[in-house]
Amino acid sequence: MTEAYVVGAGQSPFGSFPDESYRSLFETAFDCATASVDAEFDPKRIDEAFVGTLGVGGRQLGLSGPAVTEHVGLHGIPTTRVENACAASGYAFRSAVASVRAGLADVALAGGYEVMTDTSSDHTKWWLGVSGETEWERLSGTTFSGVYAQMASAHMNEYGTTTEDLSRVAVKNHANGARNPNAHLGFECSLEDAMAAPTVADPLNLYHCCPTTDGASAVIVASEEVAFELSDDPVRVAGMGASSGHVGLFQRDTFTSIPATRRAAEAAYDEAEIGPSDVDVAEVHDCFAIAELVAYEDLGFCAAGESATLLREGVTDPDGELPVNTSGGLKSKGHPIGATGTGQITEIFEQLRGEAHTQVDSPRYGLAHNVGGSGGGATVHLFERADGGER
Amino acid sequence: MNRIAAVGVALPRLRISTAEIADAWGRYSGAGIEEKTVAAADEDALTLAVEAAESALTRGSVAAADISVISLATTTPPLDTEEIAPRLVRALGLPPSTTTRTFTQSTLAGAQALDSGFDADGPALVVAADAPRGDPADADHPFGAGAAAFLLTESGSVERLGSASHVDELAGISYRERGTDELRGLDITGYERNTIRESVTSAAERLAGNVNGVDFDDAAVDGAAVFQPDARMPSRATGNLSIPREALARGTVVGRIGDAGAAGVPLGLAAAFDAADDEDRTLAVFFGSGGGATAMLFEGRVESGLDAALDGGSAVTYPQYLRERGYVGTVDVAGGGAHVSLPTWQRSLDQRYRLAAGRCPKCEALTFPPEGACGTCHRRVEFERVELSRTGLVRAVTAIGYGGAPPEFAEQQRRDGAYDVALVELEHGGESVTLPAQLTDVDSGTVGVGDEVRAVVRKLYEQEGVPRYGAKFAPIEE
Repeated sequence: MTEAYVVGAGQSPFGSFPDESYRSLFETAFDCATASVDAEFDPKRIDEAFVGTLGVGGRQLGLSGPAVTEHVGLHGIPTTRVENACAASGYAFRSAVASVRAGLADVALAGGYEVMTDTSSDHTKWWLGVSGETEWERLSGTTFSGVYAQMASAHMNEYGTTTEDLSRVAVKNHANGARNPNAHLGFECSLEDAMAAPTVADPLNLYHCCPTTDGASAVIVASEEVAFELSDDPVRVAGMGASSGHVGLFQRDTFTSIPATRRAAEAAYDEAEIGPSDVDVAEVHDCFAIAELVAYEDLGFCAAGESATLLREGVTDPDGELPVNTSGGLKSKGHPIGATGTGQITEIFEQLRGEAHTQVDSPRYGLAHNVGGSGGGATVHLFERADGGER
Repeated sequence: MNRIAAVGVALPRLRISTAEIADAWGRYSGAGIEEKTVAAADEDALTLAVEAAESALTRGSVAAADISVISLATTTPPLDTEEIAPRLVRALGLPPSTTTRTFTQSTLAGAQALDSGFDADGPALVVAADAPRGDPADADHPFGAGAAAFLLTESGSVERLGSASHVDELAGISYRERGTDELRGLDITGYERNTIRESVTSAAERLAGNVNGVDFDDAAVDGAAVFQPDARMPSRATGNLSIPREALARGTVVGRIGDAGAAGVPLGLAAAFDAADDEDRTLAVFFGSGGGATAMLFEGRVESGLDAALDGGSAVTYPQYLRERGYVGTVDVAGGGAHVSLPTWQRSLDQRYRLAAGRCPKCEALTFPPEGACGTCHRRVEFERVELSRTGLVRAVTAIGYGGAPPEFAEQQRRDGAYDVALVELEHGGESVTLPAQLTDVDSGTVGVGDEVRAVVRKLYEQEGVPRYGAKFAPIEE
């Protein structure tokens, strides 16, 4: 089995783009990814593609993968659509790495896209709702934010987490996103703003929720041999972990943790032979503020119930010991469902190569964490700078 | 012959005072009604029937599995064409062999349902439930809602001594045109009053005429529940008889409930039975537009808890009333909804109504819903069916605010406002599972993690015009 490396990664701006289509957004991401490859890169070297999308709006539910790969000239290669709700492209990346490691492809493409802002809010609600457990959770009247709000209520009750803690997630991620030209909501917000926002699903307010966003992202994965031919500074895929979980929150043993994340993280750390304390920078799935706090605990950054302290003490600030969501996260950068997973990997790729907008101090290991639905699926990927941290 | 062994009642939690309605319209047409009940957006004749029947079953000593007949009376079935009693059978967990009878078309339905229950061979449940509506400017003023359920067995404490009817074509006194859900009247006051009085008098006199071998003196009854669209009608309708004023007072509840249609006299009967002594005689006279009147004479007492039900409640303003009852606009939501097909829904009825879960024969853990692999040991097993406790603890909760509801719940939210959805932990035999469910009968934001709640059957949502029902959870009153 060969090692797999990321040799290129890029994304379109995330935001609302009424003049773009899902194909043109994917094209932008694809062009950015190929442009980021150090050597002259001929897209024809891509042997296989995996594309994540939920297909919001129903614009191309069938054959969604080929619909974008043909658009960028990747004619005739095997292309697979990956649908795992918000973890679609985290899983697409997993498939691309698996393909390379197995020797099926020397170069594989993983990417994703979503267009979410061009339908009415009723229609969007329908599409957001389809990733929750339908028969019981949705038909008790719960929205997607409602499910995370239930998680927040349980976390607050069990650990004393406060709405102020939730608001701090927004403040931090908006501060980071304000430095990211690709962010959807690239403005800063004060703690007062984040506390005073209108309620969406109690205890979550508007600032505790990510936006609906248009965007695309793409990552180029290469085998060890090809990687160093294409790149001076490729990023090694050090560990992969993925897990499924009960689709409905109500079916799980715990409402204050996402077990799928825990299992995925354990697998990734095992393969990389490192622990949480070795991680230098992380992009975690913060679709709602409570999700980022729960992720700190599930990824082992702190013990259960201590995420708010970690945040309050600035550990996850860009200049802290373990910066989290330097891109702005889903909260500020945006959450175009299918594009999110490979978008997170794009940030980690840039961080490890020293090219990020909010660059942290010479990181060696980076982590990307992508969750589908409220935890029905999750991926955790660990990346290492190819030179092992020497720069 | 069956006797009444237990009585249960159900009243909506929401109430509106006459003054609120009079303020809105400058007048009020429900004589003697001071306050009335208001069916909320998730309440209808079926949910009220379920609640009253559950209460009667709890108060009685007959297991649901032993009920052989269920008779339901209502003038407001949720659908124009569709048998409604089987929904009640499902919700109550009665056996599929239960004989069902539905009586509708007029407020006389309550008498017809009782008749069939008394004549039944075996334990019977008789439920009268109604939630009439009318033009808010006019006929709607007195309309309330409620349900009364009677559990009938051979050994009940209340005996029916006799029954007699006066039948005539009396069309147009109170009617609902095809295709509308609003009741209307001819509004020929004198004619209507005379017709009702003549029918009521005739039925009562037939009873007194000993047709059924009954020794009956109307001046000697201790309680009387007489047709009560408003509080004056019972004495007006019995003007030709000599029923004592105190007896009529025992069985007149319209002043606090409003005109509950086919459930009006049955609720009055429940009140009269509550107030009775063991030897007391109670007269019931039902009247129904289009059909005439039926009089019944009872002896004995039985508790229904109506007083406690009347004392509860929470006041609404008139604008809230209009919204809650769906008078203000309708919702046409674009974008469809999460489609759970009817066959799929049908398979979940036992879980929705009866909180049926599965116990794993290998690891003993519970799984809900009881399908697929065991939620704990993940083995694919044949679950043992168990019914979860109907009270449980809130483990997580959120409020879905105005405009934030999924499309299926947009109509409810428009009518009822913000609602809470909780994860409720329910137990059986030392094991527990958690269900997602709406909270009801409570203001949003007042139930927290750790609070105790109880299951009630309510309307969840409609799909293609057909209501779907299931469990919601209400707070437990201290």
